[in-house]
Amino acid sequence: MTAPSVGPAGKATDPVEQAGAVIEYCYDRGWTDGLPVVPATQSRVDEFLATTVRGPDDIIGSAPHLDRSISVAQAAANAVMAGCRPEYFPVVLAAWEAVNLERSVRGAWQSTSGPAPLIVVNGPVRSRLGINCEGGVFGPGFRANATIARAIGLIVRNGYGIRPHELEQATQGLPGRWSVCLGENEELSPWEPLSVVGGLGRGRDAVSAVLIRTCEYVDNRGTDSPDAVLADFADTLARLGAFVGGGHSSGGLVLGPEHAQLFARHGYSRADVQHWLFEHAVRDRADLIAVGKAAGGVGGENSPVTDPARVGTPFPMMPSATDIPILVAGAANAAISMVFRPFGWAPWSGRSVPVAWSAAFAEVTHGS
Amino acid sequence: MFDSVIDPTLGPARDAERAPTALADRPESLSGLRLGLLANIKHNAEPFLAAVGQVLVERHGVARVLARKKLDITSTAPQEILDDLRAGCDIVVIGVGDCGSCSASAVADGIILEQSGLPAVVVCTDAFIASADVMAGLRGAPGYRYLTIPHPMANLTPDGVRDRAAAAVPEIVGMLTRGAMAATP
Repeated sequence: MTAPSVGPAGKATDPVEQAGAVIEYCYDRGWTDGLPVVPATQSRVDEFLATTVRGPDDIIGSAPHLDRSISVAQAAANAVMAGCRPEYFPVVLAAWEAVNLERSVRGAWQSTSGPAPLIVVNGPVRSRLGINCEGGVFGPGFRANATIARAIGLIVRNGYGIRPHELEQATQGLPGRWSVCLGENEELSPWEPLSVVGGLGRGRDAVSAVLIRTCEYVDNRGTDSPDAVLADFADTLARLGAFVGGGHSSGGLVLGPEHAQLFARHGYSRADVQHWLFEHAVRDRADLIAVGKAAGGVGGENSPVTDPARVGTPFPMMPSATDIPILVAGAANAAISMVFRPFGWAPWSGRSVPVAWSAAFAEVTHGS
Repeated sequence: MFDSVIDPTLGPARDAERAPTALADRPESLSGLRLGLLANIKHNAEPFLAAVGQVLVERHGVARVLARKKLDITSTAPQEILDDLRAGCDIVVIGVGDCGSCSASAVADGIILEQSGLPAVVVCTDAFIASADVMAGLRGAPGYRYLTIPHPMANLTPDGVRDRAAAAVPEIVGMLTRGAMAATP
Protein backbone atom coordinates (compact mmCIF):
# COMPACT_ATOMS: atom_id res chain seq x y z
CA MET A 1 0.00 0.00 0.00
CA THR A 2 1.31 3.41 -0.87
CA ALA A 3 1.71 5.83 1.96
CA PRO A 4 -0.87 8.63 1.87
CA SER A 5 0.56 11.94 0.72
CA VAL A 6 1.24 14.25 3.61
CA GLY A 7 2.64 17.71 4.10
CA PRO A 8 2.23 20.78 1.90
CA ALA A 9 3.30 19.05 -1.31
CA GLY A 10 0.81 16.24 -0.82
CA LYS A 11 -1.91 18.73 0.00
CA ALA A 12 -1.33 20.61 -3.23
CA THR A 13 -1.68 17.54 -5.41
CA ASP A 14 -4.37 15.64 -3.55
CA PRO A 15 -7.55 16.09 -5.66
CA VAL A 16 -9.71 15.93 -2.55
CA GLU A 17 -7.80 18.77 -0.94
CA GLN A 18 -8.07 20.72 -4.19
CA ALA A 19 -11.82 20.17 -4.30
CA GLY A 20 -12.05 21.76 -0.87
CA ALA A 21 -9.84 24.64 -1.95
CA VAL A 22 -11.90 25.41 -5.02
CA ILE A 23 -15.07 25.45 -2.94
CA GLU A 24 -13.38 28.03 -0.69
CA TYR A 25 -12.41 29.97 -3.82
CA CYS A 26 -16.12 30.21 -4.75
CA TYR A 27 -17.00 31.36 -1.22
CA ASP A 28 -14.31 34.04 -1.36
CA ARG A 29 -15.85 35.48 -4.52
CA GLY A 30 -19.29 35.77 -2.96
CA TRP A 31 -20.89 33.30 -5.34
CA THR A 32 -22.63 31.05 -2.85
CA ASP A 33 -25.85 31.19 -0.86
CA GLY A 34 -23.96 30.10 2.24
CA LEU A 35 -23.71 26.43 1.36
CA PRO A 36 -20.86 24.94 -0.69
CA VAL A 37 -21.26 25.04 -4.47
CA VAL A 38 -20.03 22.74 -7.21
CA PRO A 39 -17.50 24.75 -9.25
CA ALA A 40 -18.76 25.34 -12.79
CA THR A 41 -16.36 24.54 -15.65
CA GLN A 42 -16.95 24.96 -19.36
CA SER A 43 -17.16 21.21 -20.00
CA ARG A 44 -19.72 20.78 -17.24
CA VAL A 45 -21.74 23.76 -18.49
CA ASP A 46 -21.63 22.28 -22.01
CA GLU A 47 -23.16 19.06 -20.69
CA PHE A 48 -26.03 21.12 -19.30
CA LEU A 49 -26.44 23.13 -22.48
CA ALA A 50 -26.70 19.89 -24.50
CA THR A 51 -29.96 19.05 -22.74
CA THR A 52 -31.95 22.07 -23.81
CA VAL A 53 -33.42 23.45 -27.00
CA ARG A 54 -32.42 26.94 -25.91
CA GLY A 55 -29.26 28.55 -27.27
CA PRO A 56 -26.53 29.49 -24.78
CA ASP A 57 -26.88 33.19 -25.57
CA ASP A 58 -30.68 33.32 -25.33
CA ILE A 59 -31.75 35.90 -22.79
CA ILE A 60 -34.10 34.41 -20.20
CA GLY A 61 -34.43 37.27 -17.76
CA SER A 62 -33.65 40.91 -17.38
CA ALA A 63 -33.73 43.57 -14.68
CA PRO A 64 -33.58 46.86 -16.56
CA HIS A 65 -33.42 48.90 -13.35
CA LEU A 66 -30.23 47.01 -12.43
CA ASP A 67 -28.87 46.96 -15.95
CA ARG A 68 -28.55 43.17 -15.84
CA SER A 69 -29.80 40.32 -17.96
CA ILE A 70 -29.31 36.57 -17.77
CA SER A 71 -28.37 34.13 -20.52
CA VAL A 72 -29.04 30.41 -20.76
CA ALA A 73 -25.31 29.72 -20.39
CA GLN A 74 -25.17 31.78 -17.21
CA ALA A 75 -28.20 29.93 -15.85
CA ALA A 76 -26.41 26.66 -16.66
CA ALA A 77 -23.34 27.71 -14.69
CA ASN A 78 -25.51 28.49 -11.70
CA ALA A 79 -27.41 25.21 -12.05
CA VAL A 80 -24.07 23.37 -12.03
CA MET A 81 -23.12 25.26 -8.88
CA ALA A 82 -26.43 24.41 -7.23
CA GLY A 83 -25.61 20.71 -7.56
CA CYS A 84 -27.99 19.87 -10.40
CA ARG A 85 -27.41 16.98 -12.79
CA PRO A 86 -27.40 17.96 -16.48
CA GLU A 87 -30.81 16.45 -17.11
CA TYR A 88 -32.36 18.71 -14.46
CA PHE A 89 -31.47 21.79 -16.47
CA PRO A 90 -34.57 21.90 -18.72
CA VAL A 91 -36.65 21.74 -15.53
CA VAL A 92 -34.63 24.63 -14.06
CA LEU A 93 -35.29 26.67 -17.21
CA ALA A 94 -39.01 25.85 -17.10
CA ALA A 95 -39.11 26.74 -13.39
CA TRP A 96 -37.36 30.03 -14.07
CA GLU A 97 -39.87 30.81 -16.83
CA ALA A 98 -42.79 29.87 -14.57
CA VAL A 99 -41.48 32.08 -11.76
CA ASN A 100 -41.15 34.94 -14.21
CA LEU A 101 -44.78 34.59 -15.27
CA GLU A 102 -45.74 35.82 -11.81
CA ARG A 103 -46.83 39.43 -11.93
CA SER A 104 -45.29 40.07 -8.51
CA VAL A 105 -41.85 38.79 -9.53
CA ARG A 106 -40.22 42.08 -10.42
CA GLY A 107 -40.22 43.44 -6.91
CA ALA A 108 -39.85 40.06 -5.28
CA TRP A 109 -36.11 39.58 -5.07
CA GLN A 110 -35.46 42.95 -3.39
CA SER A 111 -38.60 42.96 -1.28
CA THR A 112 -38.76 43.19 2.50
CA SER A 113 -41.23 40.30 2.21
CA GLY A 114 -38.43 38.04 0.95
CA PRO A 115 -40.69 35.60 -0.94
CA ALA A 116 -39.76 32.08 -2.07
CA PRO A 117 -40.64 30.36 -5.30
CA LEU A 118 -42.94 27.37 -4.71
CA ILE A 119 -42.07 25.20 -7.71
CA VAL A 120 -44.41 22.35 -8.70
CA VAL A 121 -43.46 19.66 -11.20
CA ASN A 122 -46.00 17.50 -13.05
CA GLY A 123 -45.66 14.65 -15.52
CA PRO A 124 -43.47 11.58 -16.02
CA VAL A 125 -40.36 13.69 -15.50
CA ARG A 126 -40.96 13.31 -11.76
CA SER A 127 -40.00 9.64 -11.78
CA ARG A 128 -37.31 10.00 -14.45
CA LEU A 129 -35.43 12.60 -12.41
CA GLY A 130 -36.35 11.33 -8.96
CA ILE A 131 -38.37 14.41 -8.03
CA ASN A 132 -40.05 13.58 -4.77
CA CYS A 133 -43.82 13.98 -4.62
CA GLU A 134 -44.47 11.67 -1.68
CA GLY A 135 -43.41 11.69 1.97
CA GLY A 136 -41.39 14.68 3.11
CA VAL A 137 -42.18 16.51 -0.09
CA PHE A 138 -41.06 19.88 1.27
CA GLY A 139 -37.67 18.27 1.85
CA PRO A 140 -34.91 17.74 2.56
CA GLY A 141 -33.33 14.59 1.17
CA PHE A 142 -33.93 14.60 -2.59
CA ARG A 143 -31.28 15.94 -4.92
CA ALA A 144 -33.57 17.03 -7.74
CA ASN A 145 -36.01 18.87 -5.48
CA ALA A 146 -33.24 20.54 -3.51
CA THR A 147 -30.98 21.58 -6.35
CA ILE A 148 -33.59 22.74 -8.89
CA ALA A 149 -34.97 25.19 -6.33
CA ARG A 150 -31.47 26.23 -5.27
CA ALA A 151 -30.50 26.94 -8.87
CA ILE A 152 -33.24 29.59 -9.07
CA GLY A 153 -31.77 31.29 -6.01
CA LEU A 154 -28.24 31.28 -7.38
CA ILE A 155 -29.45 32.71 -10.70
CA VAL A 156 -31.07 35.60 -8.81
CA ARG A 157 -27.98 36.13 -6.66
CA ASN A 158 -25.29 35.82 -9.30
CA GLY A 159 -27.25 36.78 -12.40
CA TYR A 160 -28.94 39.91 -11.06
CA GLY A 161 -26.41 40.63 -8.31
CA ILE A 162 -29.20 40.75 -5.72
CA ARG A 163 -27.48 39.75 -2.47
CA PRO A 164 -28.70 39.93 1.14
CA HIS A 165 -27.90 43.15 3.01
CA GLU A 166 -27.34 44.87 -0.32
CA LEU A 167 -30.12 44.99 -2.92
CA GLU A 168 -31.88 42.10 -1.19
CA GLN A 169 -33.73 43.66 1.74
CA ALA A 170 -35.79 40.81 3.22
CA THR A 171 -36.82 41.76 6.75
CA GLN A 172 -36.69 38.14 7.93
CA GLY A 173 -37.05 36.04 4.81
CA LEU A 174 -38.58 32.64 5.33
CA PRO A 175 -37.34 29.12 6.00
CA GLY A 176 -36.39 27.40 2.77
CA ARG A 177 -36.45 30.39 0.46
CA TRP A 178 -34.52 28.54 -2.26
CA SER A 179 -35.50 24.98 -1.46
CA VAL A 180 -39.20 24.53 -2.23
CA CYS A 181 -39.56 22.36 -5.32
CA LEU A 182 -42.02 19.49 -5.17
CA GLY A 183 -43.67 17.02 -7.48
CA GLU A 184 -47.44 16.82 -7.43
CA ASN A 185 -48.56 13.41 -6.20
CA GLU A 186 -50.65 12.76 -9.30
CA GLU A 187 -50.89 9.06 -8.43
CA LEU A 188 -52.77 9.78 -5.18
CA SER A 189 -54.59 12.91 -6.29
CA PRO A 190 -58.28 12.45 -7.10
CA TRP A 191 -58.18 15.44 -9.44
CA GLU A 192 -56.46 16.50 -12.63
CA PRO A 193 -52.82 17.60 -12.36
CA LEU A 194 -52.09 21.24 -11.55
CA SER A 195 -50.46 21.54 -14.98
CA VAL A 196 -53.84 20.79 -16.58
CA VAL A 197 -55.33 23.66 -14.56
CA GLY A 198 -52.33 25.57 -15.90
CA GLY A 199 -53.42 24.98 -19.49
CA LEU A 200 -51.34 21.96 -20.59
CA GLY A 201 -52.37 18.49 -21.67
CA ARG A 202 -52.41 15.61 -19.20
CA GLY A 203 -49.16 13.67 -19.15
CA ARG A 204 -47.00 16.63 -20.19
CA ASP A 205 -43.81 17.34 -18.27
CA ALA A 206 -44.51 20.74 -16.79
CA VAL A 207 -43.53 23.22 -14.13
CA SER A 208 -45.77 25.69 -12.32
CA ALA A 209 -44.59 28.28 -9.82
CA VAL A 210 -45.97 30.80 -7.40
CA LEU A 211 -44.06 33.13 -5.10
CA ILE A 212 -44.96 32.54 -1.48
CA ARG A 213 -44.31 34.26 1.84
CA THR A 214 -44.77 31.21 4.02
CA CYS A 215 -46.37 27.81 4.52
CA GLU A 216 -48.41 26.84 7.57
CA TYR A 217 -49.76 23.40 8.37
CA VAL A 218 -53.35 22.38 8.98
CA ASP A 219 -53.43 19.14 10.95
CA ASN A 220 -56.92 17.65 10.97
CA ARG A 221 -57.11 13.88 11.46
CA GLY A 222 -60.19 13.80 13.67
CA THR A 223 -63.18 13.90 11.37
CA ASP A 224 -64.63 12.40 8.20
CA SER A 225 -66.68 15.54 7.58
CA PRO A 226 -65.39 17.44 4.54
CA ASP A 227 -67.07 20.63 5.71
CA ALA A 228 -65.37 20.40 9.10
CA VAL A 229 -61.96 20.07 7.44
CA LEU A 230 -62.77 22.87 5.00
CA ALA A 231 -63.76 25.12 7.90
CA ASP A 232 -60.39 24.38 9.46
CA PHE A 233 -58.65 25.47 6.24
CA ALA A 234 -60.84 28.57 5.97
CA ASP A 235 -59.81 29.64 9.46
CA THR A 236 -56.13 29.53 8.55
CA LEU A 237 -56.70 31.20 5.17
CA ALA A 238 -58.52 34.06 6.91
CA ARG A 239 -55.74 34.70 9.45
CA LEU A 240 -55.40 38.42 10.14
CA GLY A 241 -51.61 38.46 10.26
CA ALA A 242 -51.34 37.40 6.64
CA PHE A 243 -53.41 40.40 5.49
CA VAL A 244 -51.19 43.27 4.38
CA GLY A 245 -53.81 45.76 3.26
CA GLY A 246 -55.18 46.19 -0.20
CA GLY A 247 -58.26 44.38 -1.40
CA HIS A 248 -57.60 40.91 -0.07
CA SER A 249 -55.17 38.44 1.44
CA SER A 250 -53.90 35.42 -0.47
CA GLY A 251 -53.76 31.68 -0.02
CA GLY A 252 -53.44 28.28 -1.63
CA LEU A 253 -53.29 24.65 -0.50
CA VAL A 254 -50.84 21.81 -0.84
CA LEU A 255 -53.29 19.13 0.21
CA GLY A 256 -52.02 15.92 1.70
CA PRO A 257 -53.51 12.97 -0.21
CA GLU A 258 -55.77 12.03 2.71
CA HIS A 259 -57.52 15.39 2.78
CA ALA A 260 -57.85 15.47 -1.02
CA GLN A 261 -59.31 11.97 -1.05
CA LEU A 262 -61.72 12.81 1.76
CA PHE A 263 -63.09 15.70 -0.29
CA ALA A 264 -63.30 13.60 -3.45
CA ARG A 265 -65.04 10.75 -1.60
CA HIS A 266 -67.78 13.19 -0.64
CA GLY A 267 -68.13 14.42 -4.21
CA TYR A 268 -66.11 17.62 -4.01
CA SER A 269 -64.19 18.62 -7.11
CA ARG A 270 -61.18 20.94 -6.88
CA ALA A 271 -63.45 23.80 -7.97
CA ASP A 272 -66.00 22.89 -5.26
CA VAL A 273 -63.26 23.12 -2.64
CA GLN A 274 -62.10 26.47 -4.02
CA HIS A 275 -65.63 27.90 -3.94
CA TRP A 276 -66.30 26.64 -0.44
CA LEU A 277 -63.09 28.20 0.82
CA PHE A 278 -63.68 31.51 -0.94
CA GLU A 279 -67.12 31.81 0.62
CA HIS A 280 -65.98 30.87 4.12
CA ALA A 281 -62.55 32.50 4.37
CA VAL A 282 -64.06 35.79 5.50
CA ARG A 283 -63.66 38.12 8.50
CA ASP A 284 -65.76 40.73 10.20
CA ARG A 285 -64.52 44.13 9.08
CA ALA A 286 -64.28 45.01 12.77
CA ASP A 287 -61.64 42.28 13.22
CA LEU A 288 -59.40 43.96 10.66
CA ILE A 289 -60.00 47.42 12.09
CA ALA A 290 -59.24 46.16 15.61
CA VAL A 291 -55.74 45.04 14.62
CA GLY A 292 -54.98 48.27 12.76
CA LYS A 293 -55.51 46.94 9.26
CA ALA A 294 -58.27 49.23 8.07
CA ALA A 295 -55.76 50.81 5.69
CA GLY A 296 -51.99 50.58 5.55
CA GLY A 297 -49.76 48.77 3.15
CA VAL A 298 -48.76 49.98 -0.27
CA GLY A 299 -51.43 52.25 -1.69
CA GLY A 300 -53.81 51.36 1.13
CA GLU A 301 -55.32 54.81 1.52
CA ASN A 302 -58.69 53.97 -0.02
CA SER A 303 -59.27 50.91 2.07
CA PRO A 304 -61.89 48.41 0.93
CA VAL A 305 -62.14 47.37 4.59
CA THR A 306 -63.90 50.59 5.57
CA ASP A 307 -65.74 51.12 2.27
CA PRO A 308 -69.05 52.66 3.47
CA ALA A 309 -70.97 50.81 0.77
CA ARG A 310 -69.98 47.49 2.26
CA VAL A 311 -70.16 48.08 6.02
CA GLY A 312 -71.90 45.17 7.73
CA THR A 313 -70.96 42.60 5.11
CA PRO A 314 -68.22 40.00 5.70
CA PHE A 315 -64.83 40.87 4.24
CA PRO A 316 -63.63 38.15 1.81
CA MET A 317 -59.98 37.40 2.56
CA MET A 318 -59.29 35.50 -0.67
CA PRO A 319 -59.23 37.26 -4.06
CA SER A 320 -61.59 34.78 -5.74
CA ALA A 321 -62.34 31.06 -5.81
CA THR A 322 -60.08 30.33 -8.75
CA ASP A 323 -57.28 32.34 -7.16
CA ILE A 324 -56.89 29.73 -4.42
CA PRO A 325 -54.45 27.34 -6.15
CA ILE A 326 -54.79 23.74 -4.96
CA LEU A 327 -52.47 20.81 -5.55
CA VAL A 328 -51.85 17.45 -3.91
CA ALA A 329 -48.50 16.29 -2.54
CA GLY A 330 -47.06 14.23 0.28
CA ALA A 331 -47.71 10.79 1.76
CA ALA A 332 -51.09 9.26 2.54
CA ASN A 333 -50.05 8.54 6.11
CA ALA A 334 -51.72 11.36 8.06
CA ALA A 335 -54.40 13.95 7.36
CA ILE A 336 -52.01 16.90 7.19
CA SER A 337 -51.95 19.67 4.61
CA MET A 338 -50.19 22.96 4.05
CA VAL A 339 -51.61 26.42 3.44
CA PHE A 340 -49.27 28.61 1.45
CA ARG A 341 -49.34 32.37 1.04
CA PRO A 342 -48.78 33.89 -2.39
CA PHE A 343 -46.71 37.08 -2.30
CA GLY A 344 -48.22 40.42 -3.23
CA TRP A 345 -51.70 41.04 -4.51
CA ALA A 346 -51.42 39.37 -7.89
CA PRO A 347 -52.71 35.78 -7.80
CA TRP A 348 -50.95 32.81 -9.42
CA SER A 349 -50.47 33.40 -13.15
CA GLY A 350 -52.44 30.22 -13.77
CA ARG A 351 -50.04 29.14 -16.49
CA SER A 352 -47.83 26.06 -16.41
CA VAL A 353 -44.67 25.83 -18.50
CA PRO A 354 -43.82 22.70 -20.52
CA VAL A 355 -40.37 21.17 -20.02
CA ALA A 356 -38.48 20.85 -23.31
CA TRP A 357 -35.41 18.66 -23.86
CA SER A 358 -33.17 18.86 -26.88
CA ALA A 359 -33.94 16.10 -29.37
CA ALA A 360 -30.50 14.53 -29.07
CA PHE A 361 -30.67 14.46 -25.32
CA ALA A 362 -34.22 13.10 -25.18
CA GLU A 363 -33.23 10.24 -27.50
CA VAL A 364 -30.48 9.15 -25.16
CA THR A 365 -32.31 9.49 -21.87
CA HIS A 366 -35.90 8.69 -22.74
CA GLY A 367 -35.12 5.90 -25.14
CA SER A 368 -37.72 7.32 -27.50
CA MET B 1 -5.02 28.76 -9.68
CA PHE B 2 -8.66 28.01 -10.41
CA ASP B 3 -8.91 29.89 -13.68
CA SER B 4 -11.11 27.23 -15.24
CA VAL B 5 -13.94 28.01 -12.81
CA ILE B 6 -16.64 29.97 -14.60
CA ASP B 7 -17.68 33.26 -13.02
CA PRO B 8 -21.47 32.89 -12.60
CA THR B 9 -21.97 36.64 -12.30
CA LEU B 10 -20.85 37.34 -15.86
CA GLY B 11 -23.95 37.83 -17.95
CA PRO B 12 -24.54 38.58 -21.61
CA ALA B 13 -25.09 42.32 -21.60
CA ARG B 14 -23.55 43.27 -18.34
CA ASP B 15 -22.42 46.82 -18.21
CA ALA B 16 -19.71 46.06 -15.69
CA GLU B 17 -17.74 49.27 -15.94
CA ARG B 18 -20.30 51.99 -16.39
CA ALA B 19 -18.83 55.41 -16.94
CA PRO B 20 -19.13 57.76 -13.98
CA THR B 21 -22.36 59.73 -14.03
CA ALA B 22 -22.05 63.51 -14.16
CA LEU B 23 -24.41 65.14 -11.71
CA ALA B 24 -26.24 68.45 -12.15
CA ASP B 25 -24.81 71.84 -11.27
CA ARG B 26 -26.47 73.48 -8.27
CA PRO B 27 -28.26 76.85 -8.20
CA GLU B 28 -27.26 79.48 -5.63
CA SER B 29 -30.77 79.61 -4.19
CA LEU B 30 -34.20 78.13 -4.81
CA SER B 31 -35.85 81.50 -5.30
CA GLY B 32 -38.07 81.56 -8.38
CA LEU B 33 -37.33 77.94 -9.31
CA ARG B 34 -39.87 75.35 -10.37
CA LEU B 35 -39.98 72.33 -8.03
CA GLY B 36 -40.86 68.82 -9.12
CA LEU B 37 -42.06 66.19 -6.66
CA LEU B 38 -41.74 62.54 -7.69
CA ALA B 39 -43.67 60.35 -5.27
CA ASN B 40 -44.08 56.60 -5.21
CA ILE B 41 -47.13 54.76 -3.85
CA LYS B 42 -45.67 54.01 -0.44
CA HIS B 43 -47.94 55.04 2.39
CA ASN B 44 -47.33 58.71 3.37
CA ALA B 45 -44.94 59.39 0.49
CA GLU B 46 -47.22 61.89 -1.26
CA PRO B 47 -48.20 63.85 1.87
CA PHE B 48 -44.54 63.98 2.92
CA LEU B 49 -43.42 65.43 -0.40
CA ALA B 50 -46.40 67.81 -0.52
CA ALA B 51 -45.45 69.13 2.92
CA VAL B 52 -41.84 69.58 1.80
CA GLY B 53 -43.08 71.45 -1.26
CA GLN B 54 -45.27 73.72 0.81
CA VAL B 55 -42.38 74.77 3.05
CA LEU B 56 -40.13 75.32 0.05
CA VAL B 57 -42.76 77.61 -1.51
CA GLU B 58 -43.55 79.50 1.69
CA ARG B 59 -40.02 79.98 3.04
CA HIS B 60 -37.57 79.47 0.21
CA GLY B 61 -39.20 81.27 -2.69
CA VAL B 62 -39.96 78.28 -4.88
CA ALA B 63 -42.21 79.56 -7.67
CA ARG B 64 -44.40 76.53 -8.32
CA VAL B 65 -44.74 72.82 -7.77
CA LEU B 66 -45.30 69.99 -10.23
CA ALA B 67 -46.26 66.74 -8.48
CA ARG B 68 -46.06 63.36 -10.18
CA LYS B 69 -46.55 59.85 -8.84
CA LYS B 70 -45.12 56.62 -10.20
CA LEU B 71 -47.24 53.53 -9.67
CA ASP B 72 -44.52 50.90 -9.93
CA ILE B 73 -42.25 50.91 -6.88
CA THR B 74 -39.70 48.54 -8.38
CA SER B 75 -38.78 50.26 -11.61
CA THR B 76 -37.46 53.68 -12.41
CA ALA B 77 -40.09 56.29 -13.28
CA PRO B 78 -41.75 55.89 -16.69
CA GLN B 79 -40.49 58.02 -19.53
CA GLU B 80 -43.50 60.36 -19.63
CA ILE B 81 -43.06 61.29 -15.97
CA LEU B 82 -39.33 61.90 -16.47
CA ASP B 83 -40.13 64.03 -19.52
CA ASP B 84 -42.70 66.07 -17.55
CA LEU B 85 -40.17 66.74 -14.82
CA ARG B 86 -37.41 67.65 -17.27
CA ALA B 87 -39.72 70.02 -19.13
CA GLY B 88 -41.44 71.66 -16.19
CA CYS B 89 -38.95 71.76 -13.33
CA ASP B 90 -35.59 73.13 -12.27
CA ILE B 91 -35.16 70.99 -9.14
CA VAL B 92 -36.71 67.72 -7.96
CA VAL B 93 -37.40 65.99 -4.65
CA ILE B 94 -38.00 62.21 -4.86
CA GLY B 95 -39.35 59.76 -2.32
CA VAL B 96 -39.94 58.03 -0.22
CA GLY B 97 -37.58 55.07 -0.39
CA ASP B 98 -39.30 53.04 2.28
CA CYS B 99 -38.92 49.48 1.04
CA GLY B 100 -36.33 47.17 -0.48
CA SER B 101 -37.17 47.85 -4.10
CA CYS B 102 -38.36 51.44 -3.89
CA SER B 103 -35.31 52.75 -2.01
CA ALA B 104 -33.06 51.52 -4.81
CA SER B 105 -35.36 52.70 -7.59
CA ALA B 106 -35.76 56.16 -5.98
CA VAL B 107 -31.98 56.59 -6.01
CA ALA B 108 -31.94 55.46 -9.66
CA ASP B 109 -34.59 58.09 -10.50
CA GLY B 110 -32.51 60.76 -8.81
CA ILE B 111 -29.38 59.88 -10.73
CA ILE B 112 -31.28 59.70 -14.05
CA LEU B 113 -32.64 63.22 -13.47
CA GLU B 114 -29.23 64.51 -12.34
CA GLN B 115 -27.84 63.24 -15.65
CA SER B 116 -30.28 65.47 -17.49
CA GLY B 117 -29.16 68.46 -15.47
CA LEU B 118 -31.81 68.55 -12.76
CA PRO B 119 -30.53 68.79 -9.18
CA ALA B 120 -32.41 66.06 -7.32
CA VAL B 121 -32.74 65.10 -3.68
CA VAL B 122 -33.79 61.53 -2.99
CA VAL B 123 -35.40 60.82 0.37
CA CYS B 124 -35.04 57.32 1.85
CA THR B 125 -35.75 56.04 5.31
CA ASP B 126 -32.63 55.07 7.18
CA ALA B 127 -33.47 51.35 7.10
CA PHE B 128 -32.52 51.12 3.43
CA ILE B 129 -29.10 52.74 3.23
CA ALA B 130 -27.41 49.56 2.00
CA SER B 131 -29.80 49.06 -0.88
CA ALA B 132 -29.67 52.75 -1.89
CA ASP B 133 -25.87 52.77 -1.87
CA VAL B 134 -25.60 49.66 -4.05
CA MET B 135 -27.95 51.22 -6.59
CA ALA B 136 -25.91 54.44 -6.67
CA GLY B 137 -22.85 52.36 -7.52
CA LEU B 138 -24.73 50.44 -10.22
CA ARG B 139 -25.81 53.75 -11.77
CA GLY B 140 -22.28 55.07 -12.00
CA ALA B 141 -22.55 57.44 -9.03
CA PRO B 142 -20.93 55.69 -6.07
CA GLY B 143 -21.21 57.90 -3.03
CA TYR B 144 -24.28 59.75 -4.37
CA ARG B 145 -25.74 61.59 -1.41
CA TYR B 146 -29.40 61.20 -0.57
CA LEU B 147 -31.37 62.30 2.45
CA THR B 148 -32.22 59.77 5.10
CA ILE B 149 -35.14 60.28 7.44
CA PRO B 150 -36.04 58.05 10.39
CA HIS B 151 -37.75 54.75 9.60
CA PRO B 152 -40.65 53.96 9.59
CA MET B 153 -42.83 56.40 7.66
CA ALA B 154 -45.92 54.31 7.02
CA ASN B 155 -47.37 54.52 10.54
CA LEU B 156 -47.07 58.30 11.00
CA THR B 157 -50.12 60.47 11.58
CA PRO B 158 -50.70 63.46 9.24
CA ASP B 159 -49.12 65.75 11.86
CA GLY B 160 -46.18 63.40 12.21
CA VAL B 161 -45.65 63.46 8.45
CA ARG B 162 -45.66 67.29 8.39
CA ASP B 163 -43.20 67.42 11.31
CA ARG B 164 -40.84 65.02 9.60
CA ALA B 165 -41.07 67.01 6.37
CA ALA B 166 -40.37 70.30 8.12
CA ALA B 167 -37.37 68.76 9.86
CA ALA B 168 -36.00 67.54 6.55
CA VAL B 169 -36.29 70.83 4.67
CA PRO B 170 -32.99 72.48 5.78
CA GLU B 171 -31.00 69.51 4.57
CA ILE B 172 -33.01 69.28 1.34
CA VAL B 173 -32.27 72.95 0.64
CA GLY B 174 -28.60 72.34 1.35
CA MET B 175 -28.43 69.37 -0.98
CA LEU B 176 -30.21 71.25 -3.77
CA THR B 177 -27.98 74.30 -3.58
CA ARG B 178 -24.53 73.02 -2.72
CA GLY B 179 -22.39 70.03 -2.04
CA ALA B 180 -24.96 67.41 -2.89
CA MET B 181 -22.70 65.79 -5.39
CA ALA B 182 -21.44 62.29 -5.43
CA ALA B 183 -17.94 61.75 -4.26
CA THR B 184 -15.83 62.16 -7.37
CA PRO B 185 -14.47 58.80 -8.39
